[in-house]
Amino acid sequence: MAEAIHKKLQSELEKYQQMQKDVSKSMTSRQKLEAQLTENNIVKEELALLDSQNTVYKLIGPVLVKQDLDEAKATVSKRLEYINGEIQRYETLLKELERKSEQHREVLSSLQQEYQRAQGQAVGKV
Amino acid sequence: MASTIHDQMAAAGKVKRSKYLPQGVERLKEEHRKVVKDCRSQFEHWKKVENDYESLQERLRTLPDKLSYDIMVPFGPLAFMPGKLVHTNELTVLLGDNWFAKCSAKQADALVEHRKKHVKNTLDDLQKVMKNFQNRADFTDDLEKLTGDTGDFVDIREEVINEEEVTKAKHRLAHKANSKPKQEYLLDLEEDKEKKEGDEEGTTGVLSEEELWARLDELERQEELQDERYRLDSTDTNGEDTTSSSEEEKEADGGSDVQVNGHQKENGWVPTSITSQMNGTNGSHPEDEEEEDCDEEAGNGLPTIYFSHTAEFKKVRINTGKNTTLKFSERNEQKAQAKRKKKSGKSNGHSPHESYKITSPADIYRVFVDLVNGEPIPRKSILKSRSRENSVCSDTSESSTADFEERRAAFGRSWSHDDATHSDTSDGITEEESPTGTSPHTNGCFEAFTSTVIEKDPLPCSIPHLTIAPPALPTIPERKLEEVGPEAPQEPPKWMSKFKATRLHQK
Repeated sequence: MAEAIHKKLQSELEKYQQMQKDVSKSMTSRQKLEAQLTENNIVKEELALLDSQNTVYKLIGPVLVKQDLDEAKATVSKRLEYINGEIQRYETLLKELERKSEQHREVLSSLQQEYQRAQGQAVGKV
Repeated sequence: MASTIHDQMAAAGKVKRSKYLPQGVERLKEEHRKVVKDCRSQFEHWKKVENDYESLQERLRTLPDKLSYDIMVPFGPLAFMPGKLVHTNELTVLLGDNWFAKCSAKQADALVEHRKKHVKNTLDDLQKVMKNFQNRADFTDDLEKLTGDTGDFVDIREEVINEEEVTKAKHRLAHKANSKPKQEYLLDLEEDKEKKEGDEEGTTGVLSEEELWARLDELERQEELQDERYRLDSTDTNGEDTTSSSEEEKEADGGSDVQVNGHQKENGWVPTSITSQMNGTNGSHPEDEEEEDCDEEAGNGLPTIYFSHTAEFKKVRINTGKNTTLKFSERNEQKAQAKRKKKSGKSNGHSPHESYKITSPADIYRVFVDLVNGEPIPRKSILKSRSRENSVCSDTSESSTADFEERRAAFGRSWSHDDATHSDTSDGITEEESPTGTSPHTNGCFEAFTSTVIEKDPLPCSIPHLTIAPPALPTIPERKLEEVGPEAPQEPPKWMSKFKATRLHQK
């Protein structure tokens, strides 16, 4: 009986650890997104400082491709929106994961208690 | 970055809650230090970036000066070769995220300026975070000291043990004198509150019958006091309100806490009798009501007297027997206290008059009688007391008569001389608001009405002597009150609640 509980405990623990890893992964990707967000903001502002006389290039692979200033501005704005959307998505995902990990934590603690009780009983029996 | 910091903090916070305090505090401090270190390193980094931008700007300003420069061009990582720098005004600037723009030196300069602004903002944020965490770290340090009692913070408590025997009166709960200045920290406040409540709730935590009785008595007395207060002067209303409100507050605070043996805290209701009995040491009271309410200076076991003050007209300095002085201002409070004392005194002695149940001020008149030649003779007026010799004055002064003037005059006459030996300063001697020329003729009028025994037992001289040293103390009534206080324990109880009576009977 204690053994069964022990096994259950182990499996739950692993699941919980997996969850934690997922959480941290989402966290890192979210942080990356945030960095990109700030960068794109800066680009947008700097593009605003330029005038159409300056040529704008985009680096695609090893090639610098000429872009139109207005096009570039539009592209950057679109990218900004996209990044914001991604961040939102990751936020919700993170919340979900947090919630699930909380549940898991509770399950784990209850299992632990059971296990300890079982251990105590076993000792008593013996 | 901010999120990581928050995560760290959250983790640290959670951890702290689950671990023991010292470990938790250690861990918390560690986290703080880590965060601060991170902040510092980031700060360094951004500072370097800013410097780079500065030098870049310099270069940009000088670059278009010449059409071409002769330079040594780096050729791979290890070699240079001579070359020329041409088109000095045409720059391709990386805007970020794989975007480039061709612009002139001046435009590049503007872009660099714009970036520097961003860097400055980041630096400011970092500074703020660092300061914040530094404060937090300091705060945890202080907190640790506070909780560990290792710092300058001292928990002042009053432990009164034998009060239970002396009187069944309510006892004051020890109040932790919170001298910690950093009260603005929310956490700190919570901690303090918790600790206060912990202290109040019980240094002993034992619910005993006696405590329950004491509590019941308390409540009863409160009710009585409130009733009587309604009849007091309009001038007294102030004090009444404060004291009653303070009482209520205290009630609220005490809440379900059973009064610990010897520990009770009531605003304005001081078992002065008890305290004076104990050792006659009385702390001086602040003039603020609120201060009083929560003020408690008690050395270990040194009782304090709390008075709630309202507006003061005069202050009386009273030397208690043990070289402590008290200052009062609130006459009403003192009256109330005297009343308390009396009551507590009553509760103390087994008086043959237990049967007297005073439920209204009128009862007082009934109960208090003059003892003349061993026989109780009802007084014509409560103000007119017995002969000075063996007057067992009833402390009717503090009862419902609101006419202080009368009383004063009456008391002047009625002060018994056998009390002359005791110059008691009542703990709660308040000054009459009207400076009275009618200071009763006593020289010695300032003798405390020591043996204010209503019942008949002349108080022995074992009462602590309190000397009054006021310039002009017209308020005999107050004095009386005060004196009654210290003597209360030895007085036969004038009034006793049924509970008390039952209890005494049981004993």
